[in-house]
Amino acid sequence: MTDNAKIRVLIAKPGLDGHERGARVIAYGLRDAGFEVIYTGLRQTPAQIASAAVQEDVDVIGLSILSGAHLALTKQLRQQLAARNGEDILLLVGGIIPENDIEALKQMGVAGVFTAGTPVSAVADFIRRNTKKAA
Amino acid sequence: MTVNDWDKLVSGVKAGDVRSLSRMITRVENRADGWKKAMQQLYSSAGRAKVVGITGSPGAGKSTLVNALASELSKRGKTVGIIAVDPSSPFSGGALLGDRLRMADVAVNPDIFIRSMATRGALGGLCQGARDVARILDAFGKDIVLIETVGVGQDEIEVVKTADCVLVVCVPGQGDGIQALKAGIMEIADIYVVNKADRPGADEVVADIEGMLSIADQGKDDTAPVVKTAAATGAGVDALCNTLFERLVHARNKEQWLDKRVREEILSLVETQIVESLLSAWQESGALNKMVEAVIQKKADPYSLVDALLPDLSKEALNRQAARATKTIQGPENS
Amino acid sequence: MKDDKNKDQLCPHEEQYLDKVAKAREQWEEKLINPRLKRFNMEKANTRFYTPLDRAGSDFLESVGFPGLYPFTAGNSPLEFWKVHARLAAEMGFRPDWGGTRGVGKYGGFGTAGDYRDYLIRMHSMGRKGGPNIAFDLATQCGLDSDSGQAVGEVGRVGVAIDCFQDFATIYEPYTGELEIDKVPSNFTINAPCCVIIAMYAVLAKKRGISPAALRGTPQNDILKEFIARGTYIYPPGPSLRLFRDSLVFLREKMPLLNVNSMGGYHIREAGATREQDLAFSMANAAAYLEAGVEAGLDVNDFAALFTFNAFGGSMEMYHEIAFQRAARRVYARMLKEQFGATNPKAMIIRQPITAHIGCSSTTLQRPLNNWIRAAVGGIAAGMTGAIPGVFPPFDEPLGLGHSIEATQMQFDATRILLYETGITDVLDPWAGSYFMETLTDEIEAGALAEMDKINQMGGTVAAIESGYMQKAIARSAYEKQKRIEAKQDFVVGVNCFTSELELEVSINRDVEPTYDPALMATAEERQIESLKKMKASRNNRAVASLLNTLKSHAKDKDKNLMPDICDCVENHCTLQEICDVLREVFGEFTQAKL
Repeated sequence: MTDNAKIRVLIAKPGLDGHERGARVIAYGLRDAGFEVIYTGLRQTPAQIASAAVQEDVDVIGLSILSGAHLALTKQLRQQLAARNGEDILLLVGGIIPENDIEALKQMGVAGVFTAGTPVSAVADFIRRNTKKAA
Repeated sequence: MTVNDWDKLVSGVKAGDVRSLSRMITRVENRADGWKKAMQQLYSSAGRAKVVGITGSPGAGKSTLVNALASELSKRGKTVGIIAVDPSSPFSGGALLGDRLRMADVAVNPDIFIRSMATRGALGGLCQGARDVARILDAFGKDIVLIETVGVGQDEIEVVKTADCVLVVCVPGQGDGIQALKAGIMEIADIYVVNKADRPGADEVVADIEGMLSIADQGKDDTAPVVKTAAATGAGVDALCNTLFERLVHARNKEQWLDKRVREEILSLVETQIVESLLSAWQESGALNKMVEAVIQKKADPYSLVDALLPDLSKEALNRQAARATKTIQGPENS
Repeated sequence: MKDDKNKDQLCPHEEQYLDKVAKAREQWEEKLINPRLKRFNMEKANTRFYTPLDRAGSDFLESVGFPGLYPFTAGNSPLEFWKVHARLAAEMGFRPDWGGTRGVGKYGGFGTAGDYRDYLIRMHSMGRKGGPNIAFDLATQCGLDSDSGQAVGEVGRVGVAIDCFQDFATIYEPYTGELEIDKVPSNFTINAPCCVIIAMYAVLAKKRGISPAALRGTPQNDILKEFIARGTYIYPPGPSLRLFRDSLVFLREKMPLLNVNSMGGYHIREAGATREQDLAFSMANAAAYLEAGVEAGLDVNDFAALFTFNAFGGSMEMYHEIAFQRAARRVYARMLKEQFGATNPKAMIIRQPITAHIGCSSTTLQRPLNNWIRAAVGGIAAGMTGAIPGVFPPFDEPLGLGHSIEATQMQFDATRILLYETGITDVLDPWAGSYFMETLTDEIEAGALAEMDKINQMGGTVAAIESGYMQKAIARSAYEKQKRIEAKQDFVVGVNCFTSELELEVSINRDVEPTYDPALMATAEERQIESLKKMKASRNNRAVASLLNTLKSHAKDKDKNLMPDICDCVENHCTLQEICDVLREVFGEFTQAKL
């Protein structure tokens, strides 16, 4: 029997930041890496992201934030995920994240921070290493 | 997945837990060990939901329509499950599932559950997969399940055939009108929806469809209605909903059609099961590889190889097997 | 229209000569190229050489002309003030920051209006007296007040928070006397709710007893690129263009010294577009704005002269960016003349503060000092396209925490070196007539025109946006580029090549001038919400409700200009979101097309 399990990833842009290039490139790239990528577009509230992540039973959430609001938005998302029993989902953050904030994000439960210039293959590898496909 | 894990999921679904619902969908979609037993357990809780298929060519605004329809259904007190299907990449096996993007309005409505599914390239596998997911949503308690497909592949048309009611969505301005839609799609419609009806050419599309119907339906007592909508603004969705409810107690629920669908599902399960079991045995024993080699080396032809290796498929043997199995099925005579 | 390389139009003398060149070229390839291809085992050489053959049949006067004359390929002007005063600038040690009192100051904005005002006061005390060049926060750019649920975490972050006229007026408190608003210009990087900000500017003048007709400056007012590349939109494209029309008519009538907009493909290219897409989409957008003006009954020779461009995109490919600028000027001029019947040269030129550059996305996070040389390439390209050879951005742009004074110093000096030591600006359009550069210019133009044609077939830029065509095209180009870099088909030094441990990460001390106290940032949102609450309690809420109602009913009439109503609303302390929400009710909100 063929192994049908696919890694499912939700790529989301929370808040009002409108720069989509990175998120779209990652979405295409992870699709070409064999993942099923749910892309929800701009202006997602943390509630919408958490709700989608749980409904889609994704293995990974990738947040793309370039507006500087990453700490506030990540915190809100963690709360929304907790309320929906989705804290086990691997959480990654990308975009413009100052070095000083990376530790704070990790404390919040972010598993990996991928800033500009990170090759898509590195993100895909990280995901593969850190997820267990549903059997 | 242990039996215990499955049990927990099944009871979670029956109890209305969203996390259990989405986890169960994943494992059933993946055909994780034990999935069939779990579906057996759920089966009796299902059967109440109405399944509505929505298809039509890309750019018709199906996702926007699904969003508007789900929103309207929710206003009328219905709970809704949405299955949004998108194609998998034949090269990487991955997929970009983007239908949710057009459903932001209903994304945090607690009565609405949206699940994106990729076709995963399997032939005929999609039909059963979506049917199963719809059934899980049904058992969870959803009143209505909307299945949105792309409408350009045979798979997608098959999926839609599992529905109680099929909406075919057209838009004005798509080349030579409804001719553009693949043959077969137009014939399965219970309701024709002309979306983006605020654009020029909408009335022409309606006329085209009605014209086609008047030719095809001569002598029939019931013609599929044509409804205009502009899903982006919500226009016409109220009327569409009314028409939908009317059709749901109509044609497709008649005995004939139910017979057809159940028959189709059983045959599909049989087909998949046989192929899977056979191929699994052939692969494990190395027989399949040997067959492939033999054909490549031109030492044998595929027809005779398959005939030689298939188990006894003589009419007598199969009839005996069927007779034995039938005795175990509970029917009206022996219940 | 490409130059016609129709050999039938050549005179016999020219044709004879070209035959000679063709033969000579063949011999050259035989003698020098082919043996090398063989020796190096190559199918094709990875170099090129251009000759008169590439320009056969071209007409210099038709395709290039003279700087300052149609079709402006060679430049907008034969002699610019900065060139005239270059010697004086050097002798006086001129520093380009803060614009003096003739121009706008440094682009910025953060926190509450009071925070930003206090910052401007500090700047003025340091002699930096340029007019406000305002960055607004994302909530403001999206037509939301600071107390909106969607604004959480965003208030005062990428710009200043403006919820109401009071906030706007607060920023201008230091602009009195020699800095009065009729003496210094203002820039507003605002698009979707641009009408509201323009209204605030007009009402500010009114309250100060100054005629709005004396105000100068530039609102960005380029909503179409938001749908394509920048993402701060509110309403669908149709109603957005209606609002643009309203602003255009209002500005021409009431504030004729104000530029109408600041358009261009900069964001489009940064979002991943190719050069041809950059130019094509920019032109398609410009055409939509021009059409809005024409449909409103305005004279294109008048209003188009107040259209400006922010910038187009850039890249490290120097030749191509030079050619791009030349092609852009020609395409725009021809469009204005042939499609819109313009005759006023001022209405046909691309008025932009900078020309060629490398684009911020060409800078790297790895070995960031290298961005200095990268930016210098952009400066060289700019110098060869009729502009100051501006070196941009400062090397620490990708580090994301503000430009350090060291990086800024290096940026200024690099620009000065190019301007004063190389002589590149002594010759106008130095590549004019070059067999190579004219061919490249034609190619870029042709690519852009083909794309513009495609968009026209779709029904114009609005249709292309609504169908998601432009967004998808850009996303694909961005992905293709990423794939090329990851596959090492394109090299980026320090990123995917020359990255061994032997390579040194050279760094220098970086002092970023503190602009905004983090302690203030931490409380900006709550302070802003508090002040908004107070303002709402102290205003005439009856008048507010009534004016919003009027706005709503007028919005339903496509022919009504909403600017007077918006001015009334603003003057009576309706908030930005209250105004925008009324329009949301009438126009609906834009939802993206699928990827």
